[in-house]
Amino acid sequence: MDTFSGPVGCGPHFLPARQIIMADTPATRRALEPAEQASAKGTGPFDELRHLILAPEQEALDRLHQRVADPEARTEDVSSVVAEAIQLRRQQGDDEALSHALAPTIETALRESVRKDPATLADALFPVMGPAIRKSILETLRSFLDSFNEIMDQSFSWQGLKSRFEALRTGRSFTEVVLLHSLVFRVEQVFLIHKKTGLPLGHAIAPSVATQDPSLVSGMLSAIQDFVRDSFHTAEGQGLGRMNVGDLDVWVEQGPYAIIAAVIRGIAPRALRDTLAETLENIHRQYGLQLERFDGNTAPFAAIDGDLARCREFRYKEEPRRKGRGYVWAAAAIVLLLVGGWAGWRWWQDHRWSQLVETLRDQPGLVITSFGREHGRFVIRGLRDRLAADPIQFVKNAGLSIKRGEFHWGAYYALDDAIIQQRAIAQLLPPPGVTFLVEDGVLRPQGSASSTWASDLVRRALLVPGIRAVNLAGLHRNEQTAFDKAKSDIQSLVVTFPIASAALSPSQMAALRAIALRLKSLFASADDLQQPATLEVIGHCDSTGAETTNVFLSQRRADRVVWQLGQLGLPGTRLHAKGAATNEPVRKEDSEENRQYNRSVTFRVTSPGAN
Amino acid sequence: MLQKKICMLGAFAVGKTSLVRRYVESIYSDAYHTTVGVKISKKVVQANNSEVNLVLWDLYGEDDFQKMNWKHLQGAFGYLLVADGTRPATLDKALALEQKARAEVGPLPFVFVVNKCDLVNDWQFDAALEAQLVAKKWTILRSSAKTGESVEEAFSQLTGKMLG
Repeated sequence: MDTFSGPVGCGPHFLPARQIIMADTPATRRALEPAEQASAKGTGPFDELRHLILAPEQEALDRLHQRVADPEARTEDVSSVVAEAIQLRRQQGDDEALSHALAPTIETALRESVRKDPATLADALFPVMGPAIRKSILETLRSFLDSFNEIMDQSFSWQGLKSRFEALRTGRSFTEVVLLHSLVFRVEQVFLIHKKTGLPLGHAIAPSVATQDPSLVSGMLSAIQDFVRDSFHTAEGQGLGRMNVGDLDVWVEQGPYAIIAAVIRGIAPRALRDTLAETLENIHRQYGLQLERFDGNTAPFAAIDGDLARCREFRYKEEPRRKGRGYVWAAAAIVLLLVGGWAGWRWWQDHRWSQLVETLRDQPGLVITSFGREHGRFVIRGLRDRLAADPIQFVKNAGLSIKRGEFHWGAYYALDDAIIQQRAIAQLLPPPGVTFLVEDGVLRPQGSASSTWASDLVRRALLVPGIRAVNLAGLHRNEQTAFDKAKSDIQSLVVTFPIASAALSPSQMAALRAIALRLKSLFASADDLQQPATLEVIGHCDSTGAETTNVFLSQRRADRVVWQLGQLGLPGTRLHAKGAATNEPVRKEDSEENRQYNRSVTFRVTSPGAN
Repeated sequence: MLQKKICMLGAFAVGKTSLVRRYVESIYSDAYHTTVGVKISKKVVQANNSEVNLVLWDLYGEDDFQKMNWKHLQGAFGYLLVADGTRPATLDKALALEQKARAEVGPLPFVFVVNKCDLVNDWQFDAALEAQLVAKKWTILRSSAKTGESVEEAFSQLTGKMLG
C-alpha cells in the first residue's frame, strides 16, 4: 500500500482541488502529505499527466479506502449482510466451523447474561425446563415406585417372610434385604489381569455384550492404574478400586500378582466385591507360582475363565455376614429359647387362670362375664353374690399370684339354692337343732323349734330373696316332741293286778299317782298344741279264766283305774275304759312272769294331730 | 495362547505412532498418549508355527515438556527402540533411552528401528554409529512407516528375540 499510495497524491499542481480537499477532513490532509513531498521533489509534468488519466479511479479508490478505514461504515456494511452470510454458510453445509467460531462468543454471552440477570435466561428456558424436570421426576418416581411395589409385594409373600427371616439372621434391616434382592444389575465382564505385565489371564463376558479386545482393555486398565497412582501420589501397593461412568461401574480388586476387574451395569450389592475378593484369593492360592513367573503363556490359566464366569453370574444370595455368624446363631437360639420359654410360661399361666375361671364358674353366687389379659394382668369381670365363696381364696388355693390377677365384681342376689340356703340362715337365724335345706327355692327347715319361732318362720322366710315357699314338714315343735315322748312313755306303762282281781295294790296305787301327774302334763301339752287328747284305759286278763269272766274282769280293771284317775283329779270326760279281755295281750303267755303282764291295764293316748 | 507385552520407546515425533498405526489393531485414539501417557495396541505375529499376541504399549515420546512414565515399561518382555534417521538428536536420545531402560528393568530383548528411511535426502544415520551399535549386537532395521518397509520385520524379529 505504501508503494502505491506514496507517490500518488491529489496533486499539488491542481490547486483549486487541493484547496477544496484541504478544506475537507483531517484524513484527506494526511493523504495529501506524501503528494506534497513528491511535488517538492519536482516530478512535474509526469505527475500531472498521471493525474489527468487516473484521477477518477483515484478518487473512487480513495472513497473505498476511506470506507474500509472507517469502522462505523464497515460495521454498517457488514450488518446488512451478516444474517444472509450465516444463512448462506449453513446452506453450504459447513456449519461446524461456524459453530466452533461462534461457540465461545455465545458461551461468554450466556455467562454474561446470567451474571447480569439470571431471570432473563431462566424465563427464556422456563418452557423447556419445566417439562424436562417433570419428565425426570416422573422417571425417578416411576423407578422408585417399581422398587416400592416390589417391596410391598415381598412384604406379603412367602419371599417376604423369607426376607424377614434373613434380615433377622443376618442383622440387616428388612428393607435392605428386600432392596438387595431387587437390585437390578448385570456383571457384563470380568477380567483377570496380570499385574506386572497388564496382560489378560482370563476373561468372562455376558452374552450379547459388545466388547473390545481383552488384551487392549487389560493393558489400558493397568495403564490407567499407573496413571492414577502417579497423578495422585497414592501409597505404594494401593490401586484403583472403582471407576464409575453413568450406570457403568468398574470394580477392581487388587492382589499381589493379579487384579480382578468387573464391569457392572447398574447397582451391584457389596457382596459382589466379597465374591471378587474371594475369587482373587483362590486364584492366588491356586496359581501363586505361575502368576509370579508369568512369561506370557496363558495356557496354565485356562481354567480360570470358569471362576470368572461364576463371578460374572453373581446374584445376590442370602449370605449372612461372616463376622459373628456363630454369635448370631447362638443369640438366635437364646432368643428362641427365651421367646419359647416365655410363650410356654405365658400359655401355662393362661391355662391355669382359665382353669381357675372354670372353677369359679361352678361356684354358686359367681357369674363370670369376661376374662382375659389386660396390661399383663389377668382380669376377671362378673357378678358376685355377697354370700358367694371368696374368689381370692381360689386364687391362693390354685397357687397363682394374686398380684397377676384382678377382679371386678358387680353385686347381685344369686338364686342358687346353696346361696339362698346361706342367705336364709343369715337372715332367719335358725335356733340350735334346726337346719335349713333349700330345694328349688323351697325352704325346708329340719329339726325342732319352739312353736313361737316356727309359727313366725313362714312370714319371715318369704321375705328372703330367692325363697318362694316354705315346707314345714320336717320341722317339729318342741312341745309336740315333749308330748310325743310323754305319750310314748305313758303307753309303755303297765299297771298289774292280782289274779282274778280288780283291786290295786298299794304299790300300784303309788304308781298310778305318778301316772296321774304325767297324764295331767300330757293333757296340758296336747291342749297347747291344740290337739286335745283323750286317754283310753284298756283292761287285760290272762287266758286262764272263762271268756265271759275275763271280759267282765278286764272291764272292771279298766273302770277301777279310770275311777282312781278321776279321783286323782283327771277330767273324767277325757278318760275312757275298755275291757279287752284276752284279745290284746300285752305279752305272749310263755312264762308266769309274762302271764302276770296280761293281768293288767295299759293306756292309749289319742289326739287328732298326733301324726 | 502366548502373549507378550512390548513397548515402543523413542524420542518425541520419531514416528512410533505412525509405525504402529497401520500395522496393529487399536481401539484407542492417539489422544491417550498425552492424557494417560500410553496407548495400547495389539499385533498378532506368527512365530514358531504359533500365534503370538503382542500387546504394544506405545509410550509417550519423551520431550522437554513431558517425561516418560518408566512404570509402563515394567512387565514388558521386549521393546522397539525407535529413532528418526533424519534427526541425529533422536538417535542420541534412543541410545540414552536404551541405557535408562536397562537401568529401570534390566536387559530386555529389543530391536532398534531407525525410521523415516524413505527420506533419503535427509538421512543422517551415519555408518560409523551403525557399525558401533552392530558391534554391541544391536539389531538395527531401517524402516519407513510411510512405505511400510521393515515394519512387519521389526515386530517379527523382536518376537523371535523374546521367544529365543
